[in-house]
Amino acid sequence: MVVDLGYGDAGKGTVVDWLCATRPVHTVVRFNGGAQAAHNVVRPDGRHHTFAQFGAGTFHPGVRTHLSRHVVVDPLALAAEADHLAAVGVPDAFDRLTVDGAALLATPYHRAANRARETARGADRHGSCGQGVGETVAYGLAHPDEAPRVADCRDPEVLRRRLTALRDRLTAELGPLDAPPVADCLPAYRAFAERVAIVDGSWLAGALRAGPCVFEGAQGVLLDEWHGFHPYTTWSTTTFANAETLLAEAGQGGSALRIGVLRTVTTRHGPGPLVTEDPSLPLTDPHNATNPWQGRFRFGHFDAVAHAYALAVAGGVDGLALTHLDLTERDLDLRICRRYDGLDRLLPGPAGDLDRQAALTARLLRARPLYDAGPANWPEMIGEALGAPVLLTSHGPTSAEKHVRKEGHLINAWCRGRAPS
Amino acid sequence: MGSGMWSTDVYTAADRYRRATGKSAFSYSDSGAKVVHPQLDPRGATRESRDSAEHPRSTPVTVLFDVTGSMGHVPRTLQAKLPQLLGLLLRQGYARDPQIMFGAIGDATCDRVPLQIGQFESDNRMDEDLGRIVLEGGGGGQMMESYELALYYMARRTVTDSWEKRGRRGYLFIIGDELAYPSVKAAEVARLIGDDPREDVPVRQIVDEVTRRWDTYYLLPAGSHYSGNRKVLDFWRGLLGQNALELDDLDAVCETIALTVGLGEQAIDLDTGLRDLDRTGSTATRTVSKALARLNGARRAEVAELPATRTTGGGVVRL
Repeated sequence: MVVDLGYGDAGKGTVVDWLCATRPVHTVVRFNGGAQAAHNVVRPDGRHHTFAQFGAGTFHPGVRTHLSRHVVVDPLALAAEADHLAAVGVPDAFDRLTVDGAALLATPYHRAANRARETARGADRHGSCGQGVGETVAYGLAHPDEAPRVADCRDPEVLRRRLTALRDRLTAELGPLDAPPVADCLPAYRAFAERVAIVDGSWLAGALRAGPCVFEGAQGVLLDEWHGFHPYTTWSTTTFANAETLLAEAGQGGSALRIGVLRTVTTRHGPGPLVTEDPSLPLTDPHNATNPWQGRFRFGHFDAVAHAYALAVAGGVDGLALTHLDLTERDLDLRICRRYDGLDRLLPGPAGDLDRQAALTARLLRARPLYDAGPANWPEMIGEALGAPVLLTSHGPTSAEKHVRKEGHLINAWCRGRAPS
Repeated sequence: MGSGMWSTDVYTAADRYRRATGKSAFSYSDSGAKVVHPQLDPRGATRESRDSAEHPRSTPVTVLFDVTGSMGHVPRTLQAKLPQLLGLLLRQGYARDPQIMFGAIGDATCDRVPLQIGQFESDNRMDEDLGRIVLEGGGGGQMMESYELALYYMARRTVTDSWEKRGRRGYLFIIGDELAYPSVKAAEVARLIGDDPREDVPVRQIVDEVTRRWDTYYLLPAGSHYSGNRKVLDFWRGLLGQNALELDDLDAVCETIALTVGLGEQAIDLDTGLRDLDRTGSTATRTVSKALARLNGARRAEVAELPATRTTGGGVVRL
């Protein structure tokens, strides 16, 4: 199980790609988020793909993707993504995809509503990606029996009714939406259902029996809907919780290795607290351009306080994967923040106490970081600061630039124990 | 953490899934059909673009393309691209209530299916018409196709509320790479369309008729057999003036048509349109800019020098 212990963008995609490059992975399971994910994978031969809904192991022949019911599925974006995969030499991505019929569908109506709301917030934007994922989750909670789901794509009449109800409700609330008529949407969803294998919740147990699976998290724990810094969060549980639930349902609860991914600099795309932000850092990110929904990509020094909080929220990890070590080999003044001025630790609260989370956010927006100089041995020091071993280090974008540390035998032992007989 | 990386356009998603099933978009033709699909048979049929409660000010747009062999892969590329046209027009607000009709042109002297005409549709049903088009693929080698028959059909067998109620011309785009025959032959009209015009109609006369009600453009795309051939371009420039355009990248066909309509409807000027394309991430900007530069310039010149009665334009000259 791979999750990001920051605000996203630490390198989950490249870690999942490496796992699939180095062992016989059967399926990459997505357990949160949706089409707004952007997991960049660069192959040693230079091919690049930004994985949104397909698992980041898709470059490897035979590795499947399963979108569990915790994923918000967007068939329109999925088609475009498959097109690009075909263009970079992966023509059979659809053949290796299964989708849980119970997953919610993100539609053009959700997207239009998301954008209308975020635009209305003006300067107080939450950093939404403008893809309507949060809007989809909100509608699913408000109207669980009527929210369009993946399985509805097989039944055009049901889907038509549900899309119409959705459009009418959102239009009543927000005014006219910039989205196509329901009748125009139906052929695309029908084509999706004809092309993609829609399965039920029992499919995963079979996959787990067939070989090792990787659970690929989206976004980051510090953006978690309940434990993140409200309101700058995502409508998604970004911890291991959903993955553990799925495993437990398949009779394999607690059996998976838990990997937390961190980057040597703490980054954030979108507004909200980033205590160690340092605009003077001469860094750019090739895959995160400034965009109208999230603004500029932000860089800060390694924020051990925030990452320790994420670790506690996530319930601990077996080990860490540390990416972007190549940055520490350059002549940059990279530092580490072990405490804030007047604040040594952030304590997790109970899930769902958003007032408390908002108060924490207010506190963080005022907090000043205290820095120590960057160490000679980053993996050692980060392992110490967070109390978890760094199993894997990454020194460049491709899987060939990953190094397993001596503690990393854990990953390999775990995998050998799970290989199909 | 994330981005809206992949397109979420319903109009392209259906097509992408269809291609991903390995099913050809030209399913009717590829299943071996050699006769015109009943839905596209022009014989005895009139095509109407009407206003409705949902679409009170319809703007008719017709796209007819040459499906003979000299066009090579062009029809298949068009088939993949054209479904985006409606979305482009709607999203950018270039035209009120666009209604789009597709059709195909062959050679009446030797083809089995020389004329195929769909319906005006304001939704994805036009995709289905595209899928029903028979790709003739033959063609003579005499550098002529029966464009004049298509022009005859457009002039005499189409009815639009846009014209009848508001005196506004629709848009007709012909995509091809050859010459028309010198006249519309009465016998072919009788056989294929079912009219009895008694005598042949010179192509010049039918162009005058059609341009009265249709703002008519000829697009000569790259990748077709005779593209870049001066003879073809000169022939169409003689009939349509600056409305005969060269297109150096077929992938830009939708954007070219959309911007031409946007210019005609005075919804945009060329610079605004090109900026719109840039903003939507289109890769077609350069091609469209090149194709339409002449048009844009010519239109401005027209304001300065010509009254609104040029032979190729017929009625009102839109700026």
